[in-house]
Amino acid sequence: MDLFRDILDKQIIDHDQRPMGKVDGLVLEFTDEGPPRVAYVEVGVLTQARRLHPRLGRWVARWLKKRGLETDESFRIPWAKLVPMSNALAAAVDAEETPVMSLERWVRRHIVGRIPGA
Amino acid sequence: MKKAFEIALGIVTSIGGFLEIGSLTTAAQAGAEFGYQLAWAIVLGGLCVIFLIEQSGRFAAVSKHTIPSAIRERFGVRYYTLLLVTLVLVVLLVLAAEIGGVCIALELLTGVSYQWWALPVAFVLWLLLWKGTFGFIEKGVSLLGLVTVVFIVAALKLHPSWGEVASGALPTLPGHDKAHYWFIAVSIIGASITPYLFFFYSSGAIEDKWDEDYIGTNRAIAGLGMSFGALIAIAVLIVAALVLLPQGIKVEHYSQLPQLLTSVFGYWGFILFAASLGIACFGAAQEISLEVAYFVAQGYGWNWGENVRPKKEARFSLVYTVVIVLGAGLTAVGLDPLKLTVLSMALTAATLPVSVVPFLFLMNDRSYVQEYTNGFISNAVVLFIVGLSFILAIVSIPLQIFGG
Repeated sequence: MDLFRDILDKQIIDHDQRPMGKVDGLVLEFTDEGPPRVAYVEVGVLTQARRLHPRLGRWVARWLKKRGLETDESFRIPWAKLVPMSNALAAAVDAEETPVMSLERWVRRHIVGRIPGA
Repeated sequence: MKKAFEIALGIVTSIGGFLEIGSLTTAAQAGAEFGYQLAWAIVLGGLCVIFLIEQSGRFAAVSKHTIPSAIRERFGVRYYTLLLVTLVLVVLLVLAAEIGGVCIALELLTGVSYQWWALPVAFVLWLLLWKGTFGFIEKGVSLLGLVTVVFIVAALKLHPSWGEVASGALPTLPGHDKAHYWFIAVSIIGASITPYLFFFYSSGAIEDKWDEDYIGTNRAIAGLGMSFGALIAIAVLIVAALVLLPQGIKVEHYSQLPQLLTSVFGYWGFILFAASLGIACFGAAQEISLEVAYFVAQGYGWNWGENVRPKKEARFSLVYTVVIVLGAGLTAVGLDPLKLTVLSMALTAATLPVSVVPFLFLMNDRSYVQEYTNGFISNAVVLFIVGLSFILAIVSIPLQIFGG
């Protein structure tokens, strides 16, 4: 398996097959014995921003802190909870209960939910 | 039986959806200034869009991926973001032009200036996406778009010399206004590919759960639908060459456009023109607003789909809402719809490599399309036309803007 080609930027779906973002980053674990292993995949706007440019990453981090939305880390899904499928990674989590959906929830509550007919 | 129906519906909606303000205006300008000489640009643009649509459908049917999602996966978040920014900037101008087209149709019918119509039109556009099931509306508007076939009737009634039309299908060097000739050629090619239909098309194929069995269906829809669509654009060019050119009218203002049909059909020509323009542009505006929302949702891995209620996918709904507001805003502040149209079509041509080149990589990648990779011709035709229009665009856009 080629991590960059096969895992990074791949679609993630939750236990209900609901799309819950892409693999924005990988967290590797180095141990004394054996090669490094993937410990987590990261999902979140902060990791995305850091990949675009470190400065953009710092801006986003500051903005997130000011809004009290997130800490200085993106949401991490342990590798053990992921099963690679042909077109996606299936995660054994409920998307609605993770910070991955915090922007969705915010938009739903403050903007879209207030428009009649939503 | 079901497949025959799907093919028929696909072809009919492609024909009805082909014409929009871009193809209409650029074909009319070409005919009014250069007669049949620029017919080749419509042929090239049509050919390119046939290949792109066929590839997009094949890609979705085999890989079960939408194109934006695959571009993100294969080329990473940086390239995806570059493409997103480019697409949004160009598409907002195109959307403003399409909304402008609907508003002009309403101005023609009511006499109330187009700017006043921008917000009401945007509201109806948004409401249909918000309330409706997209697929149904989109197909409905495309079917109504068949009214644009009236241009073919008009062209036939004018009895053009078909030999001369055919000779226009081969590129020739212009005798006058050289810079403007190439600029219109670029705009025509851009107009046949905008509104980035090939991105949109892969989403439909995924939603209809296409598989390898649909490759033939897809080829028929792409080939026939887009060819007939391009014929309408050629009809517009013929009518403009026979009606506007002899009078020396150069299409510098949209109020000159209804003459295309009034000269043939009289009063009803006026009504038919307004209906064609309004419906065609409305359909295109719908597709573009949705397309941006699809592009963002598929690239960021959100839920997306025709029948998702706004509250179930709030970010998706927010994207098309913002896009419509911005597009209508550009129209409402009074940017000239005609200039906006021609410029946005040329910009489409100039930015095509950014979206088409990675797409071609995907079409040749066996991990996505298995044994259904592009053949030599599919690759060569698209690369040649996109490359040519890119070169023409970067040369002729500055000449057009700064050369007066």
